[in-house]
Amino acid sequence: MSNVIDRSREIGPYIPAPDDDRIICRCEEVTQGEIRRAVHEGMWTMTEIRRYLRTGMGLCQGQTCGKLVKGIVARELGVPMAALEPATSRVPMRPIEMRVFANEAKEGGEHE
Amino acid sequence: MKRYDLIVVGAGPSGLSAAIEAAKRGLRTVVFDENEKPGGQLFKQIHKFFGSREHRAKIRGYVIGQQLLEEADSLGVEVRLNATVIGLYQDKEVVVKLADEVVHCKGDAIIIATGAAENMVTFEGWTLPGVIGAGAAQTMMNLHGIKPGQRVLMLGSGNVGLVVSFQLLQCGCEVVALVDAAPKIGGYGVHAAKIARTGVPFYLSHTIVRAEGDDCVTGVTIAKVDEHFQFIPGTEKKFEVDTICLAVGLSPMSQLLKMAGCKMEDNPRRGGQVPICDAYGRTSLAGVFVAGDVSGIEEASSAMIEGRMAGIAACEYLGFMEKEELAAQLASQERALDGLRQGMFAPQNRGRAVAETEEGIAVSASLLRHGYISDDEIERFPGITHRAGVHPVMECTQNIPCNPCQDACPKGCISIGANITSLPVVVESAECMNCGMCVASCSGQAIFLVEEDCGDDTATVTLPYEFLPLPAAGTKGDALGRSGQRVCEAEVVGVRSAKAFDKTNLLTIKVPKEYAMKARFFRSMHN
Amino acid sequence: MESRIVEHPILGEIENGRTVTFTCDGRELTGYEGEPIAAALKAAGLMVHRYTQKEHKPRGVFCAIGRCTDCVMVVDGKANVRTCVTPLKEGMVVQTQYGVGVEPFDRREEGENA
Repeated sequence: MSNVIDRSREIGPYIPAPDDDRIICRCEEVTQGEIRRAVHEGMWTMTEIRRYLRTGMGLCQGQTCGKLVKGIVARELGVPMAALEPATSRVPMRPIEMRVFANEAKEGGEHE
Repeated sequence: MKRYDLIVVGAGPSGLSAAIEAAKRGLRTVVFDENEKPGGQLFKQIHKFFGSREHRAKIRGYVIGQQLLEEADSLGVEVRLNATVIGLYQDKEVVVKLADEVVHCKGDAIIIATGAAENMVTFEGWTLPGVIGAGAAQTMMNLHGIKPGQRVLMLGSGNVGLVVSFQLLQCGCEVVALVDAAPKIGGYGVHAAKIARTGVPFYLSHTIVRAEGDDCVTGVTIAKVDEHFQFIPGTEKKFEVDTICLAVGLSPMSQLLKMAGCKMEDNPRRGGQVPICDAYGRTSLAGVFVAGDVSGIEEASSAMIEGRMAGIAACEYLGFMEKEELAAQLASQERALDGLRQGMFAPQNRGRAVAETEEGIAVSASLLRHGYISDDEIERFPGITHRAGVHPVMECTQNIPCNPCQDACPKGCISIGANITSLPVVVESAECMNCGMCVASCSGQAIFLVEEDCGDDTATVTLPYEFLPLPAAGTKGDALGRSGQRVCEAEVVGVRSAKAFDKTNLLTIKVPKEYAMKARFFRSMHN
Repeated sequence: MESRIVEHPILGEIENGRTVTFTCDGRELTGYEGEPIAAALKAAGLMVHRYTQKEHKPRGVFCAIGRCTDCVMVVDGKANVRTCVTPLKEGMVVQTQYGVGVEPFDRREEGENA
């Protein structure tokens, strides 16, 4: 079992750091401290962190913070960044209004 | 549902190149791009490209962008702009947002050429208005004609940080410092040198402690870091700036591929999450190809070749080309790509400390540390020779794939040879005619024409000059050395602007002859 | 200080669309038709586009290519408009965005208390 998913592994206690109040996810205003604490509360995957804290779930969909959050989680878990699976990629990749998202083009019958 | 032979996502250098190759062979091709204008980053690249003729060397990026667009247009490629691809499904269904509608399309083949996104670093105050990405700076100044700031600090000494710093100077901003946490400059030495000689100080092994300001940036504090990138107390320096520009690397924008179910890997050498693909961009999904930065961070020249290869491979996949022809077509592209992936900055050398050039010459330590070659290092490089009369002095000291200078000289004074990463050598038997073509053709602005002794205790130095205002002949001022420090008085005695120079002006300055090998930039008295 | 580049050593004279008038928080400004709203605001010296929902912190242009969404403002009554990729039009009404609204937070709280 890899270090990432072996939940019985001891990662030590959360130790506050002086820069824990720094914003990491700019859209949802999630701080480094919140991310670090979440790891110690058992959120070990990018998907769990995202659901728990809403990092990367704001308007930009993690374009800016994705790699930063991953770096913090990896450091806290003591694993290389590459060992962490990125969060799921989903439609839509960009902010889009619901009225547009639901507006399927009417050219469906067009076969060429 | 609309069907295409080929759907390309991204109208940047690789996407357009792919579409061109496909359309040439008769594929019905569409390119979707989320931006209002096509060309990806090419239209923000105003410098002359490196490489050789087959890589469109010494042509400025935005001109290459225009050429690609014209070629795509003449071949009937449909380029849809403001077209955001919001989904890619395994059966090659592409979902695009076009204006206020969501459109579903199917491609028999798909090429993903979505490029890269900028990496960021955090520091106290990094969310303040005035802290921007290097890409933002380029977009503002080169696309929209707006200075990103008046006084700017640049973080990052890779090619992006260096190129954008120079562009900031060109549009009239002041760059107060170029800062990098690494102990060595990451990008091309020639890019660093052309910034350093204008007087911009480099702070290697330094990084940003905090951005200052309440509602927007009014200053920045940097400090030195140790080998573990920890701040060294007492080394803080403060600058008054209105803008902090971040150029700390790129990550492939590969989310669409992950979503479609492509096999992915996290490969730090390629810049992060990338699809697993072969040399021609074939992914684990049949008919889905990749090209450009999305499959590994490189630069625009190689992205264009990767695009061409993916386009050709897609043609073969769809039966528009025989297997034998595929091999022949790809071979020439592979040779071109191999040519670019050579030298000290080649992907395989990333992160390696290179101590010597291919010629066995010790690299300039000062260039890596401070952005300029020191006076005691310069003489050891083969581009520097001394002789009577005007002659080229080529301050090209790193093995990078680039050779336009060799073709530029009508007299054959400059030789690089078959290996395009070799340092340029002065051909002793050839006679320089002072035409200036070498100075203007050097993408790194590293060639000078020097007459070391004009007979009256003076020397002349002809240097490339891409700034405004252009000083007129007779203008008096200071000659700056490679470090950007004043070395002596100087007077402009000649200004040459020719169409063949492609907007690189040639300034000839007169200096006391003992400064012939030191004076490398001119600053008029008014500045 | 002037932010517009009048002449560029490589790109030459900057071509602009026709001059249009728009307002930002009631202040009348001019810009060029078709340029991003953010460009016109930058030329007018405006840096703060919005204040964030949680911490009420100022934000402005960050990526300038429509990715980061930090530069969103309320445009013609619609919130969350990415000003760096939205073309400027004659008569646009642009407002600083507070959270997702146009009312400054302190005023909003006063309203609630009243």
